Order: sequence, then C-alpha cells, then structure tokens
Amino acid sequence: MDTLNILLMGFISVVLINNLVFTKFLGICPYLGVSGRIDMAFGMGMAVTFVVTLSGTLTWMIDHWVLMKLGLEVTRYVCFILVIAGAVQLVEMYMRKFFPSLYDSFGIFLPLITTNCAILGLCLFLTLWGIESLLDAAVRSFGAGIGFTMAICIMAGIRENLNLADVPACLQGAPITLITAGLLSLAFMGFAGMIR
Amino acid sequence: MSNSRQAKPALYSQTLLAGLWRENPTLRLLLGMCPTLAVTAAVKPALTMGCCVIFVLVCSNIIVSLMRDLLKPHVRILMFTLTIATFVTIADLILKAFQPEMSETLGPYVPLIIVNCIIICRAEACASKNGLVISIIDAVGMGVGFTLTLCVLASIRELLATGAVFEIQVLPLARDGGWFVQWAAMGMPVGAFITLGLMLGLVNIVTGKKT
Amino acid sequence: MSKIKQFVQQSWLLIVASFFFGLLIAVTDAGLSPRIEQNKVNKRNRLVGALLPEARNFVALDTEIQIESAGGKTEKVEVFKAQSESGQCVGWSFNASGSGFADKIELVVAVDAKFEKIAGFAVLSSNETPGFGDQIKGDYYRSQYKGAPAGELKLVSIGDPKQIDSKIVAITGATVSSEAVVEIVSYFVTQIKEQMQKKGIIGNVQQQAS
Repeated sequence: MDTLNILLMGFISVVLINNLVFTKFLGICPYLGVSGRIDMAFGMGMAVTFVVTLSGTLTWMIDHWVLMKLGLEVTRYVCFILVIAGAVQLVEMYMRKFFPSLYDSFGIFLPLITTNCAILGLCLFLTLWGIESLLDAAVRSFGAGIGFTMAICIMAGIRENLNLADVPACLQGAPITLITAGLLSLAFMGFAGMIR
Repeated sequence: MSNSRQAKPALYSQTLLAGLWRENPTLRLLLGMCPTLAVTAAVKPALTMGCCVIFVLVCSNIIVSLMRDLLKPHVRILMFTLTIATFVTIADLILKAFQPEMSETLGPYVPLIIVNCIIICRAEACASKNGLVISIIDAVGMGVGFTLTLCVLASIRELLATGAVFEIQVLPLARDGGWFVQWAAMGMPVGAFITLGLMLGLVNIVTGKKT
Repeated sequence: MSKIKQFVQQSWLLIVASFFFGLLIAVTDAGLSPRIEQNKVNKRNRLVGALLPEARNFVALDTEIQIESAGGKTEKVEVFKAQSESGQCVGWSFNASGSGFADKIELVVAVDAKFEKIAGFAVLSSNETPGFGDQIKGDYYRSQYKGAPAGELKLVSIGDPKQIDSKIVAITGATVSSEAVVEIVSYFVTQIKEQMQKKGIIGNVQQQAS
C-alpha cells in the first residue's frame, strides 16, 4: 500500500507539479516547433513518452548499478547522452522493421528526440531527486512523458484556435506561443502543494 | 592570393557580428530555449551560464574543426555529441570547484548544455565545414550573442522581481519605505515565458518581420 | 575479415577520441576533486558555524544513526559533532530533508551539545514559491527555531514569533512551507535524539532528572 502510494505520488508530482515543460523549461524547442497541429503534437508526445520511459529507466540502472558501484559518477553525463542516443537509434530501427504503421505515425520525430532536453533533463532530475527504487524511476519517467504529451497537446489545441484570433503581427508565431505557455504555467502552479 | 588575404578580416568580422544580431541564436534562430528560460531569474546565473556555453562552444568547435576531414558520415553526430558531453563535464567540474554556489543554482541546467541545440548546430553548420580560425570566431560570436541575450532577459526579470540588478538594489522597495512593490511572478516560470515572448515580439517589430 | 576492416575504418576515430576524452575528464577530475570536496565541507561549516558560533571543526560520528523514513524504510543519517577550539563538544549537526510545497526541501539542522535545544537551521536547497514559501530562508522565520526545545514542534497561525518555545508561528501566505519545515525538523530531531540516547552518545535527560 505504501509503495503504491509513493508511486502514485511520484507520478502525479511529475505530471502536474513538476511538469517538465511548464516548471523546468525542458523540451521547449519541439514544443514551439510541432505544437501547431494537434495530431502532430500527439505523435511527438507519444514518441517522447516512449523514449523517455525507456531511457529514464536505463540510465537509472546504469547510474545505480554501474557508475555508483565503480565510483565513476564523473562520466555520468557522457554515459547518459550515449545511452539516450543509442536507445533512440534502437527504437527507430526496431519500429521501422516490426511496426511500420506505428513508425509512419510518429517515427519521423524519433531522430529529433536525441537532442530533446526533456529526455536528458529527466534522467538528470531522477539523480537529483534521489530516486531509490527502479520501479519509482520507471513510473516517474513514464509520468514525465505523459506530462510532456499533455502540455504539448493543450498547447496545440490552443494554437489551433489562435489561428482564428486577431494576434498583432509582431507577436505571431513563437512570441504568442511563449506568452500562452506563460499563462498555462501560471495555471499549472496551482497544482503545487497538492501533495502533502 | 592577395585578394583573398584582404577579404579575410572582413569575413572574420562578419562572422563575429552574425552571431550578435543577424543570426542571434536565441532571438533570431530560436535555438537553446531551455537555458534561456530557466536560468534568467537573475543576472549572475545567466552570466555564468553564458560563460559555460562560450567555453563549451569554443572547445567543441576547435575539436570538430580539427577533425573535420576525418569524420565519417555514420559517426559524425555521435562524435559531436561525445565531444560536447566531454567539455560540458569539464565545465561542470570547473564550476563546482571555483563557483560552488552558482553550480548549485544552475543545477541540472549545466549538463543540459549537452543538448543545447546551439552547440550541435554550430558544429554541424560551421565547424565541420570551415577552418580553425573561422570556427573559433564563429563560436565566440554565437556564444557572446547568446550570453548578451540571456543577460538582457535576466536584467529585466531580476529588476521587476526584486528591484535589483546584479544583486545591487536599484529601485527602492516598498518594504523599506520606497515605492516599488516586488513583482514575484517575474521570478517564476511565468515571468520567463512572457518576457521572452514580448522580447521576440519587439525584435520582430525592429526587423520589420511580417508573417 | 573485411567486415572487421570496415568496422575499424569507420570507427577508429571514435575509439581514439573516446580514449582521449576519457583521459581529459580523468585528469580534470583528479585535479579538481579535492577542491570540490573542500567546497562542500566549507559550505557546511559556514552554515553550521553561523548557527553554532563556538564551533571550530566538525567530526563525523562513527556510530551509524538510522532513522525510519516516512515510507517505512530505514535511512542513514550522518551526524556531525561540532567541537570548539579546545576540543569540547558544543553541538551536533545533521542534514534533514522532506517534501515541501513544490519540491524537496533540504535543511541542515544544528542542535546544542546536550540535544536539549535547537540551535537553528539553514536551507541547503528548496524550490519554494519566490516571495512566499522561500521566506523560510528569512530571519523572521528562522529565528523562531533558535533555542526552541529539541522535540516535537507545533505550527500555530497566531502567536508571538519572538517568544521562543515549541510553537512556531507560520509565515502568512506560506502555511504549507512553514508546516513542511516544522515537520522535517521535529521528525529528524526526535528520531535522532532517541537513537543517540539509545546508543549512549548523549545522556538520557529523563534518567538524569530522576
């Protein structure tokens, strides 16, 4: 019961309270790039969720079972980025071979994901938060992906409607997206303090 | 021969200035957004971040430029990533040793320089095609352009959030009998998003861009 | 055979570079790690030194102190003994952490030599709302802990913050953050006190009284 409780708390905290996009500013580049259409946004979100769950768990395992045992924490960043790059490559190849239809729907986003700061950011935050169990790390990684998907889909929905609005010429495109993101992050701040 | 030698200084200054305004990474190319938003709550961390980025950018451009003829297409991106990650680790260690407080404030955003699109973009677009000197100048120009943008954004936010710039009190606070009431929202994520949005809007007005 | 040749052709640079970069990191780390360790020690000494003015050096306690964390697991806590110039024990310090309003709050807590009174706390890291929750770093709130009894603390909404007792007056607009600190401090202090009494490192106050 306690374990379940901790996992649930971790999940909610990473989806709503510590949402990667709105409170940690991670993954802003794809957020600005592909949040124009809701189906694209969802595809990107799914791809990120997939990769972040995989690489978050993998890097946690490597960090705890290899690097910390050997006292090689100093090479942590290099290892993390290599694991992420490798994971993305593997997923892409696997998907192209075995799930072509899935590859068509969000495979095109996969190469972009290696340089998505949300992935590396989450791996680093897992270390920073001092996550103790593998299950907790996996759940939080998955939650981070869901949080990202949610943020990018909300944004896409708003942007589709923004097309109909009369935005000043100088603010069109990225500026108005950032301002909207600001207002959204204000809304998300209301979730802080939910867990206590 | 003499012609190309004459053209060189002009090319250098052009490359240097491109990073400052015409191809400013943050304001014009919209690259490296996450540190831009995350570390600009005050000027000091923003400046530290800028210096780290300049260091990594220059080092990685030097290495990439030196081995540009040896790079095989398959391993190019992997090589870039490896180079950048190494120098980021070194920058992080230096920061921890000589600026421990700043290192704590910046936290995970120092290692996140690895995935900062500016650096990999410059390695790909400039250093892997050009000679050593041009690559270094390009790195300095881009890095300084990035740092300046960060500092401007951070000054606005710090001024409105605390009434101070670079931790020096500029506006008299209402708490101490002045008139300025701190605008706490500017120190929070909201302030970062909205200030950057308005700044980009301003740049669009200045350059007369219409979309 | 040709496959191996192709592999080497494609990746020799990568392998050479990996060795070179590995060496570079190792050298930097070897050169800087003493300084980094020293920085960490200096920071703790500075923070705790402000709370325990007589303390000159800190010695880690070699006995293991374990407390039960909120999840029911046991957690190791490193307790430091603060010594004055003459080597006398002037207090104890340890790190304490727990969940705050937005994120984890990490504190360093100092207690006097007999573990009867709290000497104060300092915030190591927190992510509380600027202007509201982060007032836990301010003197108004922190001074209330200076001299408070080392035991269960209670948060009250109205009271005199200058009066030093087990009642801590909350910060207006930041009740959750204030409560979080009260909980973290009283939890760690009571648990560690109990453990240390059990191990006989500090005298049992009740026994002495009777």
